[in-house]
Amino acid sequence: MSMREILRIDHIQKYYDNSGNITKAIKDISFSVQEGEFVGIMGASGSGKTTLLNCISTIDRASAGHIYLAGTDVTEIKEKEIARFRRENLGFVFQDFNLLDTLTVSENIALTLTINHVSPEQVSGLVHKIAVTLDIADILEKYPYQISGGQKQRCACARALINKPKLILADEPTGALDSHSSQVLLSTIQSINTELGATILMVTHDAFSASHASRILFLRDGEIFGEILKEHDTRRVFFEKTLDVLTKIGGGVGDVF
Amino acid sequence: MYFKLARRNIKRSAKDYVIYFITIIFIVMIMYSFLALGFSADIISISENMPIFTTYIIALSVIVTLISSFIVSYAVGFMLKQRKKEFAIYELLGMEVGAIQKLFLIENAVIGVLAFLIGLAAGTMLVGILTQIVKNIFDIPHSYRVSFSIKALLLSFVFFMLMYGAGLARSIRIIRQKKTVDLLYDSRKNEVISKQGRTSLRLALVIFSVFAIGTGIFLGGYGLTMQTNSAWGYLIGSIILLLAGVYVIYRNFPIMLITYAKRKNLKYSECNLFYLGQIGHRVQSSGRMMAITAILLTISLMTMFIGLVTGAGYKANMETYYPYDAGVAFDAPFTKNSFDGLISFVDEKCPVQEEIVFYLHDVDGYSIDALALSDYNALRSMLGLETVELPDDEYLVHCDTWTHIESIRAAMNKQPDVTIMDATLKNPQARINEEAMEQFQMAGTNGYVLIVADTIAAMLPANKIRVVMKLENGGIPELRSEIRRYLNSGQWHPELQAGEILPEHVTMGVTVKAWGLSNSLTSFTSISFCGLYLSIVFILLSCSILAFEQLSALDINRRNYQIIDKIGVSRQMQQKLVHRELSTFFFIPLVLPIIVMAVLMFGAQRLYSAYVYQKGIIPLYGFATITIFAILYSAYYVVTCHLFKSNIFMNKT
Ligand SMILES: Nc1ncnc2c1ncn2[C@@H]1O[C@H](COP(=O)(O)OP(=O)(O)OP(=O)(O)O)[C@@H](O)[C@H]1O
Ligand SMILES: [Mg+2]
Repeated sequence: MSMREILRIDHIQKYYDNSGNITKAIKDISFSVQEGEFVGIMGASGSGKTTLLNCISTIDRASAGHIYLAGTDVTEIKEKEIARFRRENLGFVFQDFNLLDTLTVSENIALTLTINHVSPEQVSGLVHKIAVTLDIADILEKYPYQISGGQKQRCACARALINKPKLILADEPTGALDSHSSQVLLSTIQSINTELGATILMVTHDAFSASHASRILFLRDGEIFGEILKEHDTRRVFFEKTLDVLTKIGGGVGDVF
Repeated sequence: MYFKLARRNIKRSAKDYVIYFITIIFIVMIMYSFLALGFSADIISISENMPIFTTYIIALSVIVTLISSFIVSYAVGFMLKQRKKEFAIYELLGMEVGAIQKLFLIENAVIGVLAFLIGLAAGTMLVGILTQIVKNIFDIPHSYRVSFSIKALLLSFVFFMLMYGAGLARSIRIIRQKKTVDLLYDSRKNEVISKQGRTSLRLALVIFSVFAIGTGIFLGGYGLTMQTNSAWGYLIGSIILLLAGVYVIYRNFPIMLITYAKRKNLKYSECNLFYLGQIGHRVQSSGRMMAITAILLTISLMTMFIGLVTGAGYKANMETYYPYDAGVAFDAPFTKNSFDGLISFVDEKCPVQEEIVFYLHDVDGYSIDALALSDYNALRSMLGLETVELPDDEYLVHCDTWTHIESIRAAMNKQPDVTIMDATLKNPQARINEEAMEQFQMAGTNGYVLIVADTIAAMLPANKIRVVMKLENGGIPELRSEIRRYLNSGQWHPELQAGEILPEHVTMGVTVKAWGLSNSLTSFTSISFCGLYLSIVFILLSCSILAFEQLSALDINRRNYQIIDKIGVSRQMQQKLVHRELSTFFFIPLVLPIIVMAVLMFGAQRLYSAYVYQKGIIPLYGFATITIFAILYSAYYVVTCHLFKSNIFMNKT
């Protein structure tokens, strides 16, 4: 695995200014990610995880600092290139799914392919394949408002992963899933990581999910509080280490187990 | 306090008010300018029967008020829908329904007054242009002038209050009836294409509708060339077929579009999926809306068309009504010499090139006048028609009024011979001539006349006398009133035929072609402008419905566009999608009405252009109408697009 730096976060800050009422969602965050890394991000609710992912994916703009993605500063990138970058290299699994209610599950998944100009003949086949993997093949013709939260989550994952993106940003992709479904989803993500060398940033509240990562960043109040590396640990050992850090932060983990 | 709250509300919900505001401005502008045109002393004095134009315009304004009150209540309904959550929250906070109504009323009153004033100002500008167009039709020298009409202002105000009152009253009732729960409730379900309606069946229905439209056009064209009352049957049938066809096609258009796109795998190319979703999620209501818009546009264009054709039809009939440059009719036994004075009087005003003085004779036992063959032939040659031969023992009928021809023919079948003073006259070939001779007064009465040999005519009493004249350059409109003044002035002393006495009532008629022409222009103008007035209001109606429908689901649309933005659809593509979505609703419903209109226009041009006296009226008028149509339509499109975009691409850099 080549160890090229794909992402560098350089002292970014993010404030939300709601008519004088300023929220500092990210105070000061810096870190970098190597190509092919699987990074977990943990932290209490409101600690700025979603905000961080939004800034990286250029959905939101950082108030200060720089974000270099494969060498380009996305805080200065042109709008046209942003869209291209998003659809060609990025798979984003949103915390609130962001599925289109006007389209069926299969159409929602297919949308990623069609905007990337995949030839129409291949679309159905690819959609079906990923749907089988994530066990949503039998709900493909339903609309998002007709399916459960966990099914929506898998559908959102399918949409983000179908294009085999270089960088996957996943915001609590297993939040609404039972342990079996999360296991399936996590192995899917992991296989994209190992087989295709995709870089993954995954936000999670669940230490077990996080133990699939090779590194975990801990956020508190908009700052990086700590970091642990898996290195040669087994998943079990890594999992214990994670729990230790979480107890230190005092983040709500107890409800997971 | 309410006033302040209302002002803040208006500022905040400005986007909801824009279309409403523009629509009211347009309505006031149109209503005021047409009323001002109808009341304009300048216009009324153009010709003697111009005041009828005023009556038409006022009558139409009542209809326009009705239609507009519908728009107002629709618009208010739209705003209620947009703000139902806000109102529900007020209610939850414990504000009374009465107070909410009051707040809403004040908001609307402010908007209404403002729109009225702006509409008035714009209308004042427009009157100048309309006046110029009318004067141009009459060939009167003109220049743009701004003038103000108090009468029109007062009347527009009354109509405005009525329409606004009716519209508001309806929506106030809606606020009262709606439960808080209903106001908070919102559905995001997609409408489904019903399974029963099979595609092949639908296709058959659409093909059938295309045929209906074709048949409608054909029947309409046929009906227009027909000269009997059944023409109305054809025309009404044609209109029903056209409207039904247009409705059915558009009703099924989105369904067909989606079915077709799904079949052809078209949906997997670029952003078609998203577009189809946008159209498809309201597949039933968008179909209904497109159908209604198309119907309104068809009606509006047809109104325009009927205005044009009827106007042109008046001109076509001109030749029948005024075949002679000037004519005088007296139902009294005067001598032919009595008119020498009149002819020299006319000659002073406009040189008389040719004149014919002749009698119409009573025929005992028949309700028809008789005309001597020599007079008949003299009239024919004056009109440039071939003279006819008629043996002494035969007669023929001249009837230029098509409504009577059938009954005359039937009467002749039943009783072929005519007995006059012991002589029996035959008509072996059942001859009825039909050229235009003005048979209500001049060359007969009631629309027909019996032509007999001179020897027979000479035996009949001559109680009606006629003079027709051919004038240099066709004469002038003022001649009519001058002739009438001369005949009534006492300068003129008619002589009675020997042994005759003056009847108690003498019927007098004066016709002058030039005068008739200018009056037919009046009818042309009245009908065309009334058509224009109505059609503009219909266009406003359909545009505002379209705009409101497009803006009604902004929240859902904003979310949808944000989602595709997040997954990497470029802003440029999103803009394109917005345009694609909006123009589907704005421009596709235009296609059929325009085709129908073009075919009808083309047909009318072919049928009537030969009769149109002043060349270029149809193109000029058509151009003006299309310009107005295009301005109104694109104004709505641009504003809707702008509102749509500014809402969807809100808080974005
Ligand atoms: N659009 C916004 N306007 C104002 N404040 C915001 C906005 N979005 C997020 N915030 C605030 O920024 C902070 C960080 O939010 P963020 O969504 O990043 O948290 P999170 O770590 O993802 O939490 P969770 O685990 O609950 O998803 C929170 O305090 C939140 O209230
Ligand atoms: Mg979050």
